[in-house]
Amino acid sequence: MKKYAIVLLLLAAPFLVNAQAEKQASVKITGEVTTPLTITPDNIKTYEQTKVTRKDRDGKDHTYTGVLLSTLLQKAGVTMGKDLKGENLVKYVLASASDGYQVTFALAELDKEFTDRAIILATQIDGQPLAAADGPFRIIVQDEKKPARCMKQVTELHIAFAK
Amino acid sequence: MKSAKHTKILRRRRLPTGAIVLLLAVTTSALSAWTYYDATTIPTGAYQLNYPANFGNRVNTPDDNPTTKQGVFLGRLLFYEPLLSADNSVSCSSCHKQELAFTDGVAFSRGVHGARAARNSMSLANLLWARKFFWDGRASSLEEQASFPLVNPVEMGQPLDVSIKKLKNTTFYPAIFKQVYGDTAITTNRMVKALAQFERTLISANSKYDRYLANNYQPTDDELKGMTLFNTFPDPEKGIRGANCSHCHGGPKNYLELFHNNGLDSISKDEGIGAFTKLATDRGRFKVPTLRNIALTAPYMHDGRFKTLNEVLDHYSEHVAQSPALSAFLQDASNIPGGRALKLTAIEKKQLIAFLNMLTDTTFTADARFADPFISVTKHQLKKNLSE
Repeated sequence: MKKYAIVLLLLAAPFLVNAQAEKQASVKITGEVTTPLTITPDNIKTYEQTKVTRKDRDGKDHTYTGVLLSTLLQKAGVTMGKDLKGENLVKYVLASASDGYQVTFALAELDKEFTDRAIILATQIDGQPLAAADGPFRIIVQDEKKPARCMKQVTELHIAFAK
Repeated sequence: MKSAKHTKILRRRRLPTGAIVLLLAVTTSALSAWTYYDATTIPTGAYQLNYPANFGNRVNTPDDNPTTKQGVFLGRLLFYEPLLSADNSVSCSSCHKQELAFTDGVAFSRGVHGARAARNSMSLANLLWARKFFWDGRASSLEEQASFPLVNPVEMGQPLDVSIKKLKNTTFYPAIFKQVYGDTAITTNRMVKALAQFERTLISANSKYDRYLANNYQPTDDELKGMTLFNTFPDPEKGIRGANCSHCHGGPKNYLELFHNNGLDSISKDEGIGAFTKLATDRGRFKVPTLRNIALTAPYMHDGRFKTLNEVLDHYSEHVAQSPALSAFLQDASNIPGGRALKLTAIEKKQLIAFLNMLTDTTFTADARFADPFISVTKHQLKKNLSE
């Protein structure tokens, strides 16, 4: 009977949440972290901002403003910098978007001691907030030729060991 | 008849009208209305799931529910079992009919007591790889998915403890549960695990498209042109025409696990995943369904609003509704400069439909392993009666 009640509750869930206020989008940093973090449009402003310029699908250069993924991961206690060695080099970030799209980055791709290429969690394009269908958070990969990993509407960065 | 040393399991079953008429014509013997099961002849061992290498191995099978022959056997019986519904009239197969690639041909399925479901019945194929279930992705495994329709008042509408009691009261289910799980206990967990095992075997991998990818089929001119349109992002500035379908429906399985607002309405009545996330940009966002067997699974969309593939193409070609939730890649994909929808020609639509028809897998829809086990046993009995 208990199970039935739970399932009924789940079925009713869409109607129950209707009563709540609209939520704000966020990015959760989860997995192999010491401090799980939730990045919001407000608290991301407290981090050092980085600009990256790259061409979008329209073929024109755009300047994106945001925070280095490595900065956010370090804040969550992910093994970056001096700790990024040994078995930690088989760790990756699984980035997920609100449409279910997923891509991965090896941790070493994000670390300043390995590369000068900036990969940021952008919140602005040319000084303006990202379009609703692209934001509020978008990963921008400097110099990457294909835009496939410049993921729109990011919702989660999950850190894990490759098995 | 089966050997006398085997335990015979007998059960009276309702038969489809056609079968009853035939039965009356053939024989009035009581035997014909009975179905026989023999728990000792259930196949056992690991179930070999066969699929092409290009489908990949990112399968979604929980560690505590490996696929076994005996589990699949039980799951198939349960899938076709109307006892699991409040008025013994509806089984999973009522809304998931094999001949329609496990859909039911109506916009909103009919549940117990004539009730109608809120969304269109989804086709079942290649679920082994799926990680999110339902139009709003609320379940993350087939095991988790199975309980919803069983108890939903407008689907099968029966509390799980009642379903368990009904199965216990049959002469053969306890024995089959014993074959699968080691003892006769019937639990919700065991029911949903068996159902999930059966559903994981529903692999569709023999469409013309599969054979083309395996270099065993030469597509027609229309099919090839449709395939190119399907896979191409339109770029009118460069004179490149396309329909960009593969953005969401690409890959050898014609399925990518994505959720999108595809511009059906400017304000979607059904919130889709937005009902859970409460994000304005998730309103009217639904699971992108597989295109496998798409020619068999009309009507289309979460609410079955389009009766034909032509209507679906007309939507993407001419009627995409702009809204804040409309997915980014649909906002400006067009074959005319500055256009807001694809604007395909009549010939291009015909070519796309030729390609979509390549995704039909009749081996799958006729596969005896997925068919109603009760009817096949009855047919077997009929044949036997005829030959006697």
